[in-house]
Amino acid sequence: MAVYVLKKGDLEKFLLFLGKQGELIAPVKKDEVRFEPLKDPTDLYLDEQTYIPAKQYFFPQEQVLFTFQDDMIIPVVAPIKKRIFFGLRRCDLAAIQHQDIAFGEHNDPHYKKLRKSTILIGYQCTKKLHHWCFCGSMDLPDFYDLMFFEQEHHYQIDVGSAQGETLLKKSKLCRKTVVRISKEQKIVPDTNLLQRKDLGKHYSSKAWDSLVKKCISCAACTTLCPTCYCHEIKDDVPVSLKEVQRKRTWSSCQLKEFSGVAGNYTFRESRSSRFKHRIFHQLQYFREKHGVDLCVGCGRCIKHCPPRIDFIKVINKL
Amino acid sequence: MKSTKPTVGFYSITGCAGCLLSFIFNEKEIVQMTKLVTIVSFPFIHESAEIKEVDVAFMEGLVASPEDEEVLKEVRKKAKTLVALGACAHTACIPGYRHFVPKDSYARLMYEKLHKIKTIEPGPIDKYVQVDFTIPGCPPNKREIIKSVVNLCLKKQLKNYTSPVCVECRRNNNRCLLEENRICLGPITRGGCNAICTNSHFECWGCRGPTDDMNLPAFIELLEGKGFTKRDIRERIIAFSGQKNPKVLEVLP
Repeated sequence: MAVYVLKKGDLEKFLLFLGKQGELIAPVKKDEVRFEPLKDPTDLYLDEQTYIPAKQYFFPQEQVLFTFQDDMIIPVVAPIKKRIFFGLRRCDLAAIQHQDIAFGEHNDPHYKKLRKSTILIGYQCTKKLHHWCFCGSMDLPDFYDLMFFEQEHHYQIDVGSAQGETLLKKSKLCRKTVVRISKEQKIVPDTNLLQRKDLGKHYSSKAWDSLVKKCISCAACTTLCPTCYCHEIKDDVPVSLKEVQRKRTWSSCQLKEFSGVAGNYTFRESRSSRFKHRIFHQLQYFREKHGVDLCVGCGRCIKHCPPRIDFIKVINKL
Repeated sequence: MKSTKPTVGFYSITGCAGCLLSFIFNEKEIVQMTKLVTIVSFPFIHESAEIKEVDVAFMEGLVASPEDEEVLKEVRKKAKTLVALGACAHTACIPGYRHFVPKDSYARLMYEKLHKIKTIEPGPIDKYVQVDFTIPGCPPNKREIIKSVVNLCLKKQLKNYTSPVCVECRRNNNRCLLEENRICLGPITRGGCNAICTNSHFECWGCRGPTDDMNLPAFIELLEGKGFTKRDIRERIIAFSGQKNPKVLEVLP
């Protein structure tokens, strides 16, 4: 696909232009870095990984699926904003692709509604954003409308879709170039930390125990994971007993109640089985089903784990 | 004609009455609620010593005096379902801290006339009577109280939120307070409060009681690694829910 060039000095102008095309979401630093609506282009912060991934915009923490009263279902009618994301890393982008697969499997209308009419603009990392980045092990795809590659005085912008290219042309700030993005530019140095292997035969290994012992079941790993999509669905009954809301909220396989079923039975009673389920779902089961690992190697689950449970070392030793 | 609406009574023993106040904060819903239930007793509205027969009794407060015990047992006798309302009823909360401190260490600080008050060992209400359901929290979430009333009327099975506070806290995009080297009891405390304290950057003190699934040794190791002493950790955990967390005393004598 075509490559364009944007002068570094023109980035602010470009962001202002994007802000006029829809709601612009980009990393902003307050106490932590989060994807937030970018009001002022000077607030853009690209030096760290965002604490919270972008998934909340497509798969919100809490979402009303529909309301019902007596035997009538009332669908939620809300205007969907056109959103433009800027500053997504290669891992964040791949995570969106993997969630597309997961929610696409059953053609989830609630996800699709929010995911439609978004433009994804990536920003390639030139160095590791933190110690536990292991995207280099995960063979991440090119999945974007546009991708920024930082050079000394300008950005090279790789076009990933027609809608991305239209946007660049409309901005009148970029010029086309014959230079192509090299393979090396797409790889972040020192991030090939995880040895990929068939975990199937290691389920009963004793090596997991040292990790499980430290787990406090706070579910930070799954909540902050850009690909985890497990949720629970509950009815919110108001006192009036009218217009009951059926809500979908984030949940986590790390919680005991998540695998609880009627009859007071719990499928994954032990912390160990829950912990292993996460690792296996991310690095084994999803690949067996969809041909690609769910995990994208962003390392948030290690960086933000209060006891810093580092499963990379353990998997490498298996 | 006799009404078929279920009857509900609210009762109060030793406590600050904050739980009842929490219920009253549902101003709009209470009016709607009266279409579903008949409130036969509520201390703020009508002060009455009489304890009536009710379908559901909500009990606020802990047992700290012989009178408390009497009232509680009478309420239990006359209620088909007994709900512990708030942290005092559930864990004995702050007033229950007396359980962990020898009296001679604070007796000299007490006013003269307080010595005349007859007290017994403070304890949560389930130490004395059978409790059918618990609404935790100091104070409890006002929505949770009203929801429990609705669900009881609908004869739905009541279910407590059992996941730790951390789940809701991170769902709200909060920065983790453990990362700031503060003793936050989020990982071992039952949520359902929508992380109201940590949303305001105030660490969790565990008012909703410990989760069934907590990994206490790992949590203590984590805090010790951050430089806190066993004493710091013990004091923090027993402050609100010590009586519901006997493991703490085993691990941190």
